[in-house]
Amino acid sequence: MPGVLAKKLALTKERLYGLIGLAIVLALVPVFLGFNFYYVLLATNVMLAASLVAAWNIIGGYAGQLDLAASAYMALGAVVTGHLLASYGLTPWIGMFLGAGLAVTVAVLVGYPTFRFGIKEVWYALLTSALVVILMRIYYLIYGSFETYIPHMEPEWLYLSFRRYEVYYYLLAAMVVIIIWINLKIKSSKLGYYLAAIREDELAAEALGIDVRRYKLYALMIYAALAGIIGGIYITLTGILSYRLFDPWLGIVTAVMGIVGGLGSIEGAVLAAVILRSLEEYLRGAIGATYPGSHLLVYGLILIIVGVLKPEGLASLIRYVKNKLFYRKREEVK
Amino acid sequence: MMAIDPSLLLQNIVNGVFTGLLYSLVALGLALIFGVMDIINFAHGDFVMVGAYLTFVLATTFMIDPSLTAFITMPIFFVFGIVIYKLIIERVLGAEPLIQIAVTVGLLMVLRNLALMIFHAEPKGVPFTMFTQPITLGPITIASSRLVAGIVSLVALGLVHMLLTRTKWGIAMRATADDREVAELMGINVKRVYAVTFGLGTSLTALAAALIMTFSRADPYLGLLYGLLSWVIVAMGGLGGVIGVLASGLIIGIIEALGITIVGAGARELFIYLTFFFILWFRPRGLFGKR
Amino acid sequence: MPQPILRVEDVVKRFGGIIAVNHMSMEVYKNEILGLIGPNGAGKTTLFNCITGVYKPEEGRIIFQNEDITGLPPHVIIQKGIARTWQKVRPFKKLTVLEAVTVGALLRIPDVDEARETAKEILEFIGIDKSRWNRLGSEITLIEHKLVDLARALATRPKLILLDEVAAGLRPHEMDELAKVLLKVREEYKLTLIVVEHVMRFVMGLSERIVVMHEGKKIAEGRPEEVANNPRVVEAYLGTKPL
Repeated sequence: MPGVLAKKLALTKERLYGLIGLAIVLALVPVFLGFNFYYVLLATNVMLAASLVAAWNIIGGYAGQLDLAASAYMALGAVVTGHLLASYGLTPWIGMFLGAGLAVTVAVLVGYPTFRFGIKEVWYALLTSALVVILMRIYYLIYGSFETYIPHMEPEWLYLSFRRYEVYYYLLAAMVVIIIWINLKIKSSKLGYYLAAIREDELAAEALGIDVRRYKLYALMIYAALAGIIGGIYITLTGILSYRLFDPWLGIVTAVMGIVGGLGSIEGAVLAAVILRSLEEYLRGAIGATYPGSHLLVYGLILIIVGVLKPEGLASLIRYVKNKLFYRKREEVK
Repeated sequence: MMAIDPSLLLQNIVNGVFTGLLYSLVALGLALIFGVMDIINFAHGDFVMVGAYLTFVLATTFMIDPSLTAFITMPIFFVFGIVIYKLIIERVLGAEPLIQIAVTVGLLMVLRNLALMIFHAEPKGVPFTMFTQPITLGPITIASSRLVAGIVSLVALGLVHMLLTRTKWGIAMRATADDREVAELMGINVKRVYAVTFGLGTSLTALAAALIMTFSRADPYLGLLYGLLSWVIVAMGGLGGVIGVLASGLIIGIIEALGITIVGAGARELFIYLTFFFILWFRPRGLFGKR
Repeated sequence: MPQPILRVEDVVKRFGGIIAVNHMSMEVYKNEILGLIGPNGAGKTTLFNCITGVYKPEEGRIIFQNEDITGLPPHVIIQKGIARTWQKVRPFKKLTVLEAVTVGALLRIPDVDEARETAKEILEFIGIDKSRWNRLGSEITLIEHKLVDLARALATRPKLILLDEVAAGLRPHEMDELAKVLLKVREEYKLTLIVVEHVMRFVMGLSERIVVMHEGKKIAEGRPEEVANNPRVVEAYLGTKPL
C-alpha cells in the first residue's frame, strides 16, 4: 500500500515515510505548545520562514543562483491577494494564484536577461536585491506610507479570516510539507538532474544539450509562484498592507537560511530555517531592545563562517547522521 | 506635460555632473576589485558607510574638517581592506560565485548592523566644514562642498589611472586581471597583488566617504545606496578601466539629476535601478566594455 | 569515396585584430578518426569552439550532415549530433559518476529511470567498474574523469565526437587504454571522431587521417606517415619559437 502511494507521489518509500513523519510532527506541535496563543504565533512565523526557504531551495540550492528577492515575490503575492480582498472582496483562494502569476511575471523579467548564457551570476544576485527596493518604491509611489487593513470577513474559510492562529499555522505547515514534496519531486526528475548539472558547471551542462537559460527560468518560475502563494496566505494572517512588505532583509535572510542549510539539501534548508528563525525570536526577546539589529548581525556572522569554513552547511551533518543510520545503503547501486 | 524651467534643468545637470564624479570615485574601488580579482564584493557600499562613521568620529573628536580626515582614514582603510582580504576573501577565492556573494553579504550584514548597534538609526553629521560658501557662476549656483568633492574625485581617478598604466604595481594588477595563470608564470605574486588591490579598493572608499561627509550625514543604511550604485556603474562601465568608470559615473549622476527634476526626489533610486535593469537587458557587457 | 559528415568551409574567426582561424576548410568523413594537429596557437581550439557553437565565426559555413549549423548555440549543436569532451576536465563535482552520465542520456530519453539504465549500459561498455558508479565527481582519478567525460558525451547519442586534448596529463599505459576504448566505442556506436591533440604518439597511432593547422590555416593533410614527412609540417613545428 505505501508502495503504491509512493509511486503515485513519485517518491521513494524512504522519502514518503519521512514526509509523513514530518507531517505528523508538525501537526502535533500546537498540541505540545498547549495551544498557547503566543507560542503558536511564533511557530507560525517559523513555518512561514521554513516554507519560504523550502521554495528558495529550488532556485538557490538546486539551480545555484543566489536569489535575494524572496521577499519581493512573497510581497507581490501578498499585495495582490490583499488588495483584491480588501477592495473587491475576492477570495484569497483565487487572489493568491493571481499574486503568484504576477510574481512569476516579474521573476521572468529579472531572470530572462540575467540568465543569458555567459553572463556572470553576480548580476542576477544584484538585480534581485535591487528588485525588492524597486518594487517597494513603486508601491510607495502608488499607495504612499498609507496602510490598508483587511477587515474580518465571513465565512471564515472562504476569506481565510480566522480568529485563531492555529489555522494559519496548519495552512503554512501544509505549505511546508507540499513544498518539500515539490522539491523532492524536482530532484528526482529530469529538471533536477539538469539543474544540478547547471549548478556544477554551466559550460559543461550547455555542451550536454541543456538550454541553461530555459531550465534556470523554470526553477525561478516555480520558486516565485510558491513564494507568491505563501505571501497570499501570509497577508490573510497579518491583514496589514503596507510598503514594508517589500523587506530587503527578509530576502537576504531567506538566502542565508538556505545556504546555512547546505545548498541543495531540502532537509538542511528547512532545519536551518527552523533553528535560525527560533534563534532570531529568542535574540530579539533577549537583547533586541538594547541592541537593535543584533539578530541580523548574528545571521551575518553565521553566513561568513559557513561560507568560509563549511559551504556544505547543515546538510553535511545530516548526511553524516544518515550514513550512520543507513550505512550499508550507500555503496549499493540502485 | 509638466513644464520644466530650463535654468533649473541646467542647474540640476551641473549638480549631476559633480555628483557623478563622486559616484565614479565610490565605484572605482569596486571596479578594481572586481576587475582584477574577479571577486564579487557585496559589502562595498558598507565600506563607504563605515568610512562615513569613521570620518564623523575623527572629525568631531579632533575638531578637524571632515575632508581632511581622509589623510588618516585612507591608510587605516588600506589595512582594514587587507585584514578583510586575509580573514575572509582569500578563503573563498576559488569558490563558486554563490559562496563568494554569500560571504560578502554576510560581511554587509555584520557591518550594517554593527553600525546600527553602535550609532543607532539617527543620521550623524559633522556640524562644521570649510566648504559652506556656495559658488555662483552666471545662472548656476553650486555648493562648494560638491565642487570640491567632484574635483578631488576627478584627481583621484586620474591618479589611479596613472597607477594602473605607469607603475610596476599597476601593470602587475592589469596582467593579473587579464590572465591569472599567465601572470603567475611571469613571476607575479598574485596573492600579494590581490591583497594590495583589495586594500587599495577599500581605501578609496574612505576618501569617498570623507568627501560625502562634507555635505551629507552617516547612517547605517548608506551602504545600500552606494553599494548598488557602484555595481550599476561597474555594470555600465563593463571592464573598461578608469575611463569606463568615469563615464558611467557621470551618466548615472546626470540620470539621477534628471529623475529628481522630472519626477521628484522620491524617484532618485528608482531611476538608478531601472537604468541598471535596462543595461542588463540590452548591454550585458556594459557600454564601455571591451569583451 | 565515403561522404563527408562535417564540412568546414572557409571559416574565419577574429579576436580584435588577431585572426585565430584564417579561411580554414576541411572535410571529415563518416566513421573515420581524424587527427587535428598543429603547433601552439595554430587555431585548433578556436576552430573546435566554432564547430561546437562556443564561438560564432565571422565568415564561412559549417555544414553537418548537409545542414548549415554555423553559429547555433552549444545546446543546439549537440542536439544535431556533435558532442565534445574537455581538455581540462569539467566534472559535476557533487554528482555521482552515474548521475553525470544520466544527465547526458536525458537529452534523448526524457524518462529519468530509462536514462539511468542507458547510462549504466554505457558505463559498463566503456569499462568503468561498477564499484565506482556511486563515487562523486570530486572523488575520481584523472583517467576516470576522461572516461566519464566520454561516457557523458556518448550518452547524448552523437554522430560525431570532438575530443579536445584528451590524452593530456595521462601516463603512457593510460593513453593506450583510452585509445582502445575510443576504437571500441567508434565500432559499437558507428561514430566519427575528431581528435585535437598535442601528444603526437597518441594522435599518430589512433588517427587514420591527419589535418595540420598552422597560423589559422590548413597546411597539410593525409595519412599520418605522409604528414609526418611533409616538409611544411616539419617547418611549422620546428620554425615556431618556443614561447
